[in-house]
Amino acid sequence: MNDIVWLTMRRMRGPLVIMILVYSLSVFGMVLISGQDADGNALRVGFLDAAYFVAIMATTIGFGEIPTTFTGAQRLFVYIVLFPNVIAWLYSIGTIISLLVDPQFRAVLARARFNRRVRRMRQNFYVVCGFGYTGRMIVRGLLKRGIGAAVIEQKQDIIHSMALDEDFAHLPALAGDVTDRRLLDLAGLDETLQRCIGVIAITNDDHANLTIAITSKLLRPTLPVLARAETRRVVDNMASFGTDLTVDPYTIFAERFHLALVSPVKYLVQDWLISVPGTQLRSDMDPPDGRWILCGVGRFGSRMAAKLEQAEMPYTVIDVHEDRVAKRPGSVLGRGTEAKTLLEAGVDKAAGIIAGTGDDVDNLSIIMTARELNPDLFVVARQENPLNDQLFDSSGADLIARRSLIVARRILAVATTPLLPVFIDHLVNQDERFAHRLKHRLEAVLHGFAPGLWTINLVGEWANSLHVAAREGTTTRLRHLTLNPRSQEADELPCVCLLLERGSLRTFLPGGDEKLMEGDHLLFAGRGSAHREMLFALSEPTALVSVVTGRSQPRGAIMRKLARKRAR
Amino acid sequence: MNFEKVVFGFFIVLALTLNFGFFLGDIDNPDHHNAMELGAALAVSLIATIIKFGDRSQMGAILLATSLVADLQLLIAAGVWGYAANVSANGVTSEVLAGIVSLSGGALLANLVSVTLLVAETITIRR
Repeated sequence: MNDIVWLTMRRMRGPLVIMILVYSLSVFGMVLISGQDADGNALRVGFLDAAYFVAIMATTIGFGEIPTTFTGAQRLFVYIVLFPNVIAWLYSIGTIISLLVDPQFRAVLARARFNRRVRRMRQNFYVVCGFGYTGRMIVRGLLKRGIGAAVIEQKQDIIHSMALDEDFAHLPALAGDVTDRRLLDLAGLDETLQRCIGVIAITNDDHANLTIAITSKLLRPTLPVLARAETRRVVDNMASFGTDLTVDPYTIFAERFHLALVSPVKYLVQDWLISVPGTQLRSDMDPPDGRWILCGVGRFGSRMAAKLEQAEMPYTVIDVHEDRVAKRPGSVLGRGTEAKTLLEAGVDKAAGIIAGTGDDVDNLSIIMTARELNPDLFVVARQENPLNDQLFDSSGADLIARRSLIVARRILAVATTPLLPVFIDHLVNQDERFAHRLKHRLEAVLHGFAPGLWTINLVGEWANSLHVAAREGTTTRLRHLTLNPRSQEADELPCVCLLLERGSLRTFLPGGDEKLMEGDHLLFAGRGSAHREMLFALSEPTALVSVVTGRSQPRGAIMRKLARKRAR
Repeated sequence: MNFEKVVFGFFIVLALTLNFGFFLGDIDNPDHHNAMELGAALAVSLIATIIKFGDRSQMGAILLATSLVADLQLLIAAGVWGYAANVSANGVTSEVLAGIVSLSGGALLANLVSVTLLVAETITIRR
């Protein structure tokens, strides 16, 4: 706000000085030159009349000669001062208008508006730097869970198109240099913005993400920073100063691929948990044993190669870069899009193929050619551009590495359900029995569609029901929470409690007899309806108590007292 | 010598001198107080204010504030005069004039502060 006033003052200084000079000189002239009344007597023009006349002259309104018809001397004077007055007036107006269209001034205005909207945020929010495809997905996910976002994006066009999108129009958004400290300050790094709960850096540029992460860790060390980084060097660099989460999509995918190779059931279950809620669940995953063909060993391919080695799978590399081929004996030089190269690499006897070049069209071409030569291939494809979703879907690939989707899901999981990564880590490290147990329990409630995930934090008013139940002399157990509070019968809600966190104690897949205490954090997976019922049960103190005690509970204080007396 | 500084000092001092010229004389004697001089004082004071726009230093803020005070006082004085001369039935009586002159006296004080600050700043800068 201050900037706007100062900028206006600075720019208006010249025109205003000239206008006041010309205006006051004209007024003095008009007062000094005497006029004539109707009878020919000399008549001094008063200050008010003179000022009024000059004003209507300068603005070219021109109501006429005031107070009486002018004498020759007066007309001569008016003739002289008329032009400077009109010019000074137009000059001032012109300066104001040019100021309004001035890019610098508009940038200051936009910045002030952005800051005002950020300060008016009523819910907790993340600062999201970069609003490409990934950013869009993340912000949508945050909004769905009642978390806001303040967006900074390099490209003005994207900010403009955001204002036209119903979902995002109400969000504070600013176009500008995402690495600019002042913009980050406005967006939420300022200490006074208590509602800012983290920074998400997901621009396409690793270096920009790194700058954002460093800046926010220096300015507000306590604020969590979630950043995307695609090269090992940047990932290590970010981790070195305490970035809370660095998302490297290729590594994440390679790890998942490894999981699919060594333990298909674990892969399936974790895939269910991270799928978009409501989508069809993948029902099978059986990657074959045998030789793999790996097309392209760049950032993506080299990570996949490492995982194949870790799983002790033999593989043959196809790459266009001679130095990469030279480094791996037995590799084939070529693009992999031609049948000749693929046959040279032994596609007819291979079990699977990984199309991992940096070009989407090349990857599609590899898949189609390879499928023609060997229809039984297990196909893994790398997709870079999110606009090619449909092409890859219809290509029939068994696994698709979608960069932006992987980043968006991981960041959303950490930002909205922080317990989920903990659970998945546990799942990956446990033996297969745990995964099978989880698979059975999920299958029982999901009926083939991906679950929603939610966290219940039994703190503050969400723990009220526990206190009420305790006063009634009963203990609330987990199975009470997973019962439908509106139903008279024992009607299980379609959900599974994945994790119970109490202080530093974590119970994975807790049983129904687990006691609930204030301060517990619970992670659930299940259908959306179960989430709603659960929130209802917790927000309505009598609802949960009725479930726990098995009697419907009177809501008023007097009736409750009577009921308690009768119970004695 | 900096031309901008000359213009700056010129208008600020001129605002003070014109103001002083109008204020000088018996407080309620119309012969001692000229409307033209009040008008000139007001115009110069306004220009001085605008010249001070956009200076973001501490001194600049105080200078601007004193000018705004002077403007306010002179504007009210001119307004009272205009009302008495053109609208009121009694015209510019000696009581009204006394009010106008004392208002301009207040503006004089503000202008004095402004000039003092200007002088003080000039003395402290040794370049």
